[in-house]
Amino acid sequence: MTEAAIKVEDITYSYGDLLAVKGISFEVQPGEILGFLGPNGAGKSTTIKMLTGQVAPKSGVAQILGADITLDDPAIQARIGVCFEEKNLYLSMSAKENLDFYASLYGIKDPDSIEILRRVGLADRAKDRVKTYSKGMRQRMMISRAFINKPDVLFLDEPTDGLDPVTSASIRTTIKEEAARGAAVLLTTHDMFEADELSDRVAFINDGVIVAIDTPENLKLKFGKRSVKVRMRDGSGVREEIVALDRPDSGDRLKEVVGSGDVLTIHTEEATLEDIFIQMTGRGLVG
Amino acid sequence: MSLTRMFKVLRKDLALGPRSPIFLWAIILPFALTLILQVAFGSLFAAKPRMAVVDQGASEITASLEKMDGIELTVLDNPDALKDQVRANDFDAGLILPKGFDDAVRSGEKPLLELYIGGESLSSNRIILSVTTLDLVRQVEGTAPPVDVRIENFGNEGLPISVRLVPVIMMYALFIAGAFVPSSSLVEEKENGTLSALLVSPVKASEVLVAKGLLGTILAFVMAFMTLFLNKALGGQPLVLVLVILWASAFSAVLGIVIGTAAKDSASMFTLVKGSGIFLFAPVAFYLFPEWPQWIAKLFPTFWAIDPIWQVAVLGKGLDAIWVDLAVSLAIAIALVPVIGALSRRMQRKLVAE
Ligand SMILES: Nc1ncnc2c1ncn2[C@@H]1O[C@H](COP(=O)(O)OP(=O)(O)O)[C@@H](O)[C@H]1O
Ligand SMILES: [Mg+2]
Repeated sequence: MTEAAIKVEDITYSYGDLLAVKGISFEVQPGEILGFLGPNGAGKSTTIKMLTGQVAPKSGVAQILGADITLDDPAIQARIGVCFEEKNLYLSMSAKENLDFYASLYGIKDPDSIEILRRVGLADRAKDRVKTYSKGMRQRMMISRAFINKPDVLFLDEPTDGLDPVTSASIRTTIKEEAARGAAVLLTTHDMFEADELSDRVAFINDGVIVAIDTPENLKLKFGKRSVKVRMRDGSGVREEIVALDRPDSGDRLKEVVGSGDVLTIHTEEATLEDIFIQMTGRGLVG
Repeated sequence: MSLTRMFKVLRKDLALGPRSPIFLWAIILPFALTLILQVAFGSLFAAKPRMAVVDQGASEITASLEKMDGIELTVLDNPDALKDQVRANDFDAGLILPKGFDDAVRSGEKPLLELYIGGESLSSNRIILSVTTLDLVRQVEGTAPPVDVRIENFGNEGLPISVRLVPVIMMYALFIAGAFVPSSSLVEEKENGTLSALLVSPVKASEVLVAKGLLGTILAFVMAFMTLFLNKALGGQPLVLVLVILWASAFSAVLGIVIGTAAKDSASMFTLVKGSGIFLFAPVAFYLFPEWPQWIAKLFPTFWAIDPIWQVAVLGKGLDAIWVDLAVSLAIAIALVPVIGALSRRMQRKLVAE
């Protein structure tokens, strides 16, 4: 097995008295996307800030590409890409100037900034100042900047937050491309669909702790209650019956329901990641 | 510390400069102040009084005027052309010496002396030219003057207010360009979060700070040099002058980095600048008011960086007169390095946590 690109052991962080990250451990392999799924304030961004060297963990150890994160090693920093939660671009520079400048910091001689902008759909606005960009365009710009150095490790903090579905979908495609190229991706989100679609594995994070970490399928298998929804004609209206699966009497119960009338549709219902999250933590992902 | 990355940041800042209002302000301000000053007081190191002479008879007076260093003499042929040019302010004064003027004076004839004064000439130049001319006439006559003239300078070695204002403009040029531009550039990067983005890349905080410092130094040097040039106050030793301006620019930039690393955001930076402004600018007031006890100026750190410029550019002194100034300001700058180091570490912590 190859060496983990991100290796985290029991790291903590506190803002003053507030313990924001309470000892979490995980690994991300090259080419793998790990989705950090959790509500606002769960500690997702704080974890990314520690792993990108913006703050030092109060305790625990973490390695990126085999090097301790507190070393602040330019050779390692040259191999990571970061998409911040808050947009932090040079607004009075154009998209191309932004990318060319960052590329130069990584020692990239002839950056193909236009090609990178094309991937996020900004090539035709490359020469315009970022000041004139919409919120969604700026977010795409943030993503493209994280890609500039073809990073081996990508940290993406809520990359599609607040974007329209079309833009989100195109950004997700580019993230998958980066992983396919071999990048280890740590992505945070509070969108269960995004976590489900993108992640090879999902970590549920709540109140500074990882409460579960596995593939979305396994999480659903292990924790999700599957059921069958049966819709039947009921006089002039429609009646709905939900039959829980995975129970001793599930089969009998289903037969009984189906036999009780004129069936319109039968659907298996799978628990969503949010259902499981609620089940495990007692709280939802938004609000 | 990688110089390559530092230069990349510097190049970006230089390219961004003209898009920033503060940068533009730093460039315009010294020009504006110089312009105001020139309108109010005339050129600082006003060119020598300009005199035109039409000499119709090889007068001794013309020969003597030609020998005088303090007067710029032009000899013309045509009396009408002379009057026209004085009227057009091409000369401060014009003198017409008719044929046989010297002989007439010597024989006590009291001939008419035609001296035309330009309406726009400075009164100081009028006095110099009239007194000099009358003095020369008396020399031709060969008699001793009826009174003994003793000249005594009042004020700071007799330097006019316009000259004493040079340090004020210099301080403005240096402070705005050297300190304010880099500190606001740094604070802007903090506020916009771009500093965080730089710091997760291979760039180090020290490289960013050095780049900002060089930005201030370069801009301050150009502006300070332009200011002295516009005010015709370049002294006599160009190399020493370049050295002292460069040093004062770097010194201002060091102060700018202190302010920029200490300030959390632009609001707190303005508070800091307002609070420290008096302290920074105090020493230049002592050049304006020579009657104040001058030693007090030396209590302020900026004195030691600005005084060499005064000594070299205004008083025409050389290295031997300023080495103490340079040593003291260098010591101050070196003492500030660990302060900047501590402020920088605090700044990086504050980028994330309150
Ligand atoms: N700069 C800060 N100062 C103080 N508390 C903070 C700061 N940033 C985050 N927190 C707190 O730390 C906890 C985790 O925050 P964060 O990591 O931003 O969560 P997430 O990214 O999952 O929304 C929250 O309770 C939040 O209020
Ligand atoms: Mg967050």
